[in-house]
Formats: sequence, structure tokens, C-alpha cells
Amino acid sequence: MQLKINHSSHTALFALLGSLAATPAMAHNPIFGLGPHVLFKDGVEITPEVKQAKAGNKDKTELALELTYGLTGDWSAGVGIPYIDQSNGSNSASGQGDLSVFTKYRFWREDGPGQQQSMAVALRLNTDTGDDAVSSGSTDGLLGLAYGYEGRRWYRWSALRYRFNGENNAGIQQGNKLLFDLVGGYRMNRTGYMEPDTVWILELNGESTQNTQVNNVDQFNSGGTQWFVSPGIFWTKRNFAVKAGIQIPVASNLNGNQQATDYRTKLVLEWHL
Amino acid sequence: MKHLIKNTLLSLLLLVSISHNAIADTSTYLIRVDGLACPYCAYGIEKKLNALNGVKFITMNLDDGIVTVETQDVTLGDEQLKQLFNDSGFTYRSKEVSHK
Repeated sequence: MQLKINHSSHTALFALLGSLAATPAMAHNPIFGLGPHVLFKDGVEITPEVKQAKAGNKDKTELALELTYGLTGDWSAGVGIPYIDQSNGSNSASGQGDLSVFTKYRFWREDGPGQQQSMAVALRLNTDTGDDAVSSGSTDGLLGLAYGYEGRRWYRWSALRYRFNGENNAGIQQGNKLLFDLVGGYRMNRTGYMEPDTVWILELNGESTQNTQVNNVDQFNSGGTQWFVSPGIFWTKRNFAVKAGIQIPVASNLNGNQQATDYRTKLVLEWHL
Repeated sequence: MKHLIKNTLLSLLLLVSISHNAIADTSTYLIRVDGLACPYCAYGIEKKLNALNGVKFITMNLDDGIVTVETQDVTLGDEQLKQLFNDSGFTYRSKEVSHK
């Protein structure tokens, strides 16, 4: 039997995985952070993914499907829909999560022989359309700015994202969040076009979250800062990619009495058509 | 009489075949492209080139930044290539063409 989790527990579970729904998966971009890559014009990207997060006795698993379309060579847009399963000790809930729409525009690109630098802005909106048991109950948004360098051997990315959350019918507003990413990548073997290609990735992800508010009153046991070191791998062949990584917390300064994140994982499959 | 007609038809067929081969223009384009760093990102190039009539074969050398295209009875112009590679997310620099 599935029980609806009370608001405070639901808030904590939402915060556990909330930031993971933030980055549309596209091409050679970081696994957890935001990158500037978009899709080629008239291309279609199909992306199933699974994410998991654990903090003490709380855990949350999300299966999501995203579809992206290349509007131009520098602008893409898409939709995503998740299925969420979460538990908080003895209580659990599952159901369809909030539908999201997203877009990314690469406003600067500098190409050289065997290398590319670029910058992009991204916007994502999570609509209040999911099942009550797992939905945030509000419309939330994420705005991001990303820089990336891609070469035949080395990669580097940096990004800033800001998540702003609405207020749900119960008067709960999740704390807004500032996210920072610094990422490096390395290709050991420079393979040809039709050959399998592997890039090893290491990310530094930081999150600073404001207090959750209930009826405009800050909740003491909410908000704070967490830092993660996140190793990952990016394997591709022609038009298919597999990305996988794990976020390992290395520092946290959470307000009040909260359970810090134990880990988060992410596995993404991508097809370009 | 039958032999004469048959031989005439065969000669005509042979003449048409030779004429057709003489008209067909097979070309090889060596296209220099900037931004080609990863194989996965280059799929858009393959897809857009294959959508063009007359493109018979494509290969890409990522280390040298060269896309090789073999075509038959079609000419790939600079503006067309510039747009194609820009739509794929790269920058067209130049081309060299050889005809067979």
C-alpha cells in the first residue's frame, strides 16, 4: 500500500533529487552539470534516463524520458516526463512526476581545427502536472549559463544555474537554489568517426539552497550548501551514447537537523536521429 | 534480316551505354571543417550530407578536420556547404575537388 507522504517529508525528498531534473542531456556535455552543446538542425534526440538519490533513510528513484528537437544548428528545445518512486523510512509513494519543457540556445561558438569553444543559455520549466504524491505542486524554473571547450583529447566546462521555485497550494515554497559546476574530461584514445569513443569525466558540483518557506516563514531544518565530486564516463558510437556518473558528497553545511546526501547516481542513454 | 536487326539493336545499346558513362561526373570533395572534435557530434554531418542527391560516399578524418565526400552528377557549392556545416554545428573552411 502506498501512503501519501506528509509535507515536510515530501519537501525533503523533493530537495534530495530536485536538482537532478535540471540538465537536459545533449551530446558531449557534463553528466550532472550543464554544458553548451545543442543538437544539429532538424535532429531528434531520444533520451531515457534513470537517476537515484539517497540520504539516510530517504531515497528517490526517477525514470525519465526526454525528447529534444534541433530548431537550428544553435538552438534546441524539448520535453521531458519522469516517473518517480520515493520512500522515507516506512512511507513510500510513486507516480508520474511533473512534465518539463526546456530549451537551450548557443549564442557563441568559436571553431578551430579539431576543437570548439562555445557558450549557451538554458531554460527549463517544471510544470505542476504530476501526481499529487510525487509532484512539487508548483511551477518551478531553472535558468543556466554554460561554457565549454571540446578538443580531440581534453574537455572543460563550467556553468552556473539558478533554480527558482513556485509556491504550492499548501503554502510551501522550496528554497531557491544556486548551482555551480566545474568539469574536466579526457579522451585516452582518439578514435575515428565510426568507432566507439570514450571520454572520462570528473565534475565538481556545488549547490547552495535557501530555506524552504511555509506560508512565507523560513523552515529552520532546510537549506544549506553541499559540494560533490562526481566521476563519470561518456561512451559513444556514431549516433548512440551512454553516460553514467555518481555524485559523491565531499562537504556539506546544512541548516538545522537534516540528513546530508549519501550519493546520487545517473545513467543516460541517447539516440540521435 | 533478323541477324541484321539484332546486331543493329546491340550496337545501339552499346552506343547508349558508352555515352551514359561519358556523361556521368564522379567527383571527390576534400572539405576542411573546423570544430570537429568528437565522433558523436559529427553524426549531424553524415545525416545532412546523405540527404543530398548525388552523394555516394562519406568519410571523416577528425584528427585532420577533413570530410571526404564522393558525388555523382552533382556540384557542392561553397554557400551550400557553409550552410550545411553550420546547421550541423561546425564551420566550413574550404574544399578541394577532383574529378574522375
